Amino acid sequence: MPTEHDVVARVHSLTVTRLRIWVSQGLIKPADETARSYSETDIARADLICTLEDELGFDEEDVPVLLNLIDQIHGLRSELRGLLEVLDELPSDMRSTVRMRIENRRRG
Amino acid sequence: MAEDLYSELGVSKTAKAGEITKAYRKLAKKLHPDLNPGDKAAEDRFKKISHAYSILKDPDKRGQYDRGEIDASGQERPEARYYREHAGGPEGARYRSSAGFEDMGDFSDLFGDMFTGARGGRRGGAQFSMRGQDAQYHLDINFLDAVNGTKTRITLPDGGTLDVTIPPGVSEGQVLRLKGKGMPGMGEGPPGDALVEIGVRGHPVFTREGSDIVVEVPISFDEAVLGGKVEVPTISGRVAVTVPAGSNSGQTLRLKGRGVKGKGDQLVKLTVMMPETIDDDLKRFAEDWRKSHAYDPRSKLKEQA
Repeated sequence: MPTEHDVVARVHSLTVTRLRIWVSQGLIKPADETARSYSETDIARADLICTLEDELGFDEEDVPVLLNLIDQIHGLRSELRGLLEVLDELPSDMRSTVRMRIENRRRG
Repeated sequence: MAEDLYSELGVSKTAKAGEITKAYRKLAKKLHPDLNPGDKAAEDRFKKISHAYSILKDPDKRGQYDRGEIDASGQERPEARYYREHAGGPEGARYRSSAGFEDMGDFSDLFGDMFTGARGGRRGGAQFSMRGQDAQYHLDINFLDAVNGTKTRITLPDGGTLDVTIPPGVSEGQVLRLKGKGMPGMGEGPPGDALVEIGVRGHPVFTREGSDIVVEVPISFDEAVLGGKVEVPTISGRVAVTVPAGSNSGQTLRLKGRGVKGKGDQLVKLTVMMPETIDDDLKRFAEDWRKSHAYDPRSKLKEQA
């Protein structure tokens, strides 16, 4: 598993200090906290925070808000995908019924 | 990538470095793939602006581009790494938040509602397929078209048309199912069916009892007494029917095989009609006839009530 130094080496404009701040803020949760080792997801997340702050120019204090919203979106998307996969396995007449109700609901 | 890099960012060729960064950030905040997961159009657009910015933010490269030493394609950036590619996977679950939809409880239809059809497709993950919705229509047809069958065309609310073949013998309230003529399916799903509910208009002469057709036919006083050939309408044209001598109102003649689809019969209910005006001849005849042939048509009525 990549260590703290591996992460810093792989993400442009990341420093050990910045990474530790994010970990202390809970923005990044090391895959293995005691060993301070990180997963590819953690690295991508660190890269995202750098991009938001350095490239897109978001303020440091706005980034936790953004990450919270992004996390919510992925949570929702994952729930939706799971739901749709379950629906997809239902018999076709049940799927039609669900589909019809969804459309009726949408029409209000 | 032959577009002009400056117009890609919406800045002029003389824009200062600060303006270019400002323009880029404004667009990137709107289009960054991690802020628009699942939106391919935003991603394509973002690639273009970030490519333009990668050249224009660098004074050396910008100079080369302005002098025509490199074209708009410049050098490709290394493959971008986006968090969203990880966020959907099992690893991403640690960061995923459900704070925003706990209150939705069991209303699972809501999820589908947000995700389906009109509001933009889902990218990535399994392809979601669903059979199209059945479309419901109502069609009023003439009595004879219902009995004999016909072909007709419905004009739909959206301006489209639907050809409907009415089979012979269709009855009021019956629903015809037209395979695949309903709403389009989602993904690989087949379209739904069109369900056409049939309404049958009344006919001034014919009524229907199951497979039988019933017609009331008036006959004259003399036809009732003497019998004779009478022309009677049927669902397939007029036919001559022999009324036996001594026929009476309420009596029914059965025409075999003249009903619906050749299965049922036509029932001819006779009604004796007196002439509209009773002339002296008839009056005199009735007076004479009564003297020696009086009869009581209400004897049964008296017995029973």
